Amino acid sequence: NKSFQLSSLPLQILLYVNGIYYIFYFLATLAMIIYKSQVFSYPDDLLAPDVTVLFLMGILEVPRLYLGFKGNLTEAEAPLGLSLGLTVGSVVLSVYLLLWQTYVLWADVLLSAVLLSTYGLESGLKVMAIAAFVS
Amino acid sequence: PADTRDAARVRSAPAPLTDVARLCVCDLLVAQCDVNCCCDPDCSAEDFSLFTTCSVPVVTGDSQLCNQKAAVYSLDVEANPPERIFKLIDQVNPSIFCIHATNYKQALYLKSPEIPTAENFDQLLEKFGGASFRAEPEIWDLDTDAPNPPEANETSRYEFGVPVQTEDSFLRLPSPVVTSWCSDANPAGFLVNQATKCIRSVSVEKCDSIQALSMLFYINSSILAVTDMSLFFQVNITVQSIVVQSLNGMRSLLSSSDVLRLPMVLDDLCINAVLGVNYHITHTDTGEIIEAAAAFVLGAISKEALSIEQSFEISFTQENTQPVPLSGNPGYVVGLPVRAGFQPQGYPSPAAFLFAALALSSNKHSQLTILQSTSTQDCLAAQGARAPVLFSYNMISGCKLRITAAMKCQPLAQTLLDVLKGQSFPEYVASFGNSQAQDVLDWVPITQLHISEQKISQTLQSPCQIPVSLGIEVKWTKYGSLVNPQARIVNVTATITTSTLKQLPSGRERIIPITSSVVFTDISAPAEPSYKAWPTINIKLPFDFFYPFV
Repeated sequence: NKSFQLSSLPLQILLYVNGIYYIFYFLATLAMIIYKSQVFSYPDDLLAPDVTVLFLMGILEVPRLYLGFKGNLTEAEAPLGLSLGLTVGSVVLSVYLLLWQTYVLWADVLLSAVLLSTYGLESGLKVMAIAAFVS
Repeated sequence: PADTRDAARVRSAPAPLTDVARLCVCDLLVAQCDVNCCCDPDCSAEDFSLFTTCSVPVVTGDSQLCNQKAAVYSLDVEANPPERIFKLIDQVNPSIFCIHATNYKQALYLKSPEIPTAENFDQLLEKFGGASFRAEPEIWDLDTDAPNPPEANETSRYEFGVPVQTEDSFLRLPSPVVTSWCSDANPAGFLVNQATKCIRSVSVEKCDSIQALSMLFYINSSILAVTDMSLFFQVNITVQSIVVQSLNGMRSLLSSSDVLRLPMVLDDLCINAVLGVNYHITHTDTGEIIEAAAAFVLGAISKEALSIEQSFEISFTQENTQPVPLSGNPGYVVGLPVRAGFQPQGYPSPAAFLFAALALSSNKHSQLTILQSTSTQDCLAAQGARAPVLFSYNMISGCKLRITAAMKCQPLAQTLLDVLKGQSFPEYVASFGNSQAQDVLDWVPITQLHISEQKISQTLQSPCQIPVSLGIEVKWTKYGSLVNPQARIVNVTATITTSTLKQLPSGRERIIPITSSVVFTDISAPAEPSYKAWPTINIKLPFDFFYPFV
């Protein structure tokens, strides 16, 4: 029955797992920023950009996941395309948190690496789904 | 350009050393080998062979980093000779919260301090020049704290012993210091009544230029009413009276004391030189000076005199009060006069003693006095000379009475009674040195006794008795605490001893001694020190405490 259903099941599962994982990632990164500000010397003018990037990423994640779910389930390529665009933004912010944060702990590296690989896999599946919907 | 680069180089401290292989904490001596310091570059292989251990085994950077280079130094003691082993290894921090990378370069090193230059010196001084400074920038506190103005009334009033301040320094009371020469640096203390005498060297030729001989020196500065300089209440010293003393010692009071008399040379004499100053300061009960007056004694100095003696006195009086000299506070002080008083006529009841306040004033007649012996020793000629009875000083005095045949008994007895007792013999004696007239119970009545020397013989005429001696016995006790007992008069008894005057045949004379004495007896009860009882330990063991055995 695969020919009649164009929605991608792996994409759906991945989006669902991404949502849960992102909540964990957000809380863990916020907790580590608090820990770093207590243990290390973290001046305020360096703390502000890091926290801003984290919250911006959180704000961006909600419409991105929603559009991904909607696009995949309704087999519409427009929301899925928009979600892909927002994924690019999330990737950029995640790379910032991986490389250009004031203190990058080993835990930060692990979390960000997992998130980035999830984004990469998701993007690939979205492109394949769009191709399936369009054709 | 080269000069700005030089300036830039001068302004910053040298960069910190971060290469682990070249960092050595135990290298303290310059160009010399430190003992047991394996990382010291000044040590040679022979020095290493003499070491026993390495005091610094590992040199690393911040241990929070995930992996970093570490220099490990160790001694290989098995080799002969022992040699140092230097290894550069990668140290890994296994914690998941180790710092993988940091984009904040100053995080791992101590901050290099700013080198002060001519441009930033003021700003650095302002920031770090105080007793403490903040690490955070000072944008948090927007208003600079203004110091609270000190309370105006708190410590500005004079207290006992505080030097009396004038507008430029202190009120001086010249007094002898170590030697008898006058020192002008002695300040007068508030409420400290002082009387001093000292010698000042003078020369008649220059007497108008010697400051200490002129009246102006003692009254030109005005006294501050309170010690706080900001409150500008100043009290000028007024001239109360001027007494002029002539060369032979005769003193006469000048009628007008407004004119300032300055010393000047007149015919080999220096006149109007200050021989004595008596300050009278009036103060309120809150410690402010409201009036100051000075009474001068001016005299003349002759040409031969090389020094004169000056006497100074200062006394403090509270405003609106009559000063009553206390004889102790509260117990009597040895050597001070015993205070006494009497009930005014017409008020026999003790309840009316309140009116006796008028009688117990501070005039000398309200003291207990005793006959004072004179050089002539004649009782009838020496009326009026009396000496005050001083506490705890036993005194005896007397005079000789010459009796002729023509003397009548009764008037003689009355005269002798006057001679012995004085004009106003008091009826009450103060129990404490500071007893007030209003406190009725603080006054002890004088018990008067009459003793006849001879037995009254059974003759038809009543023999004439004349008083021959007055003995005052004052019983006192120590009162109060054991460490600071106060003297308190408990009982005063005045005993008049009379003797029969035998009729003399005409033309004959007799001389009878008349005596009066004062004796102080200490009737203190033995002291009873009281101590707190030792605390007792009250333990009651339960009845089955020793159960298995009892």
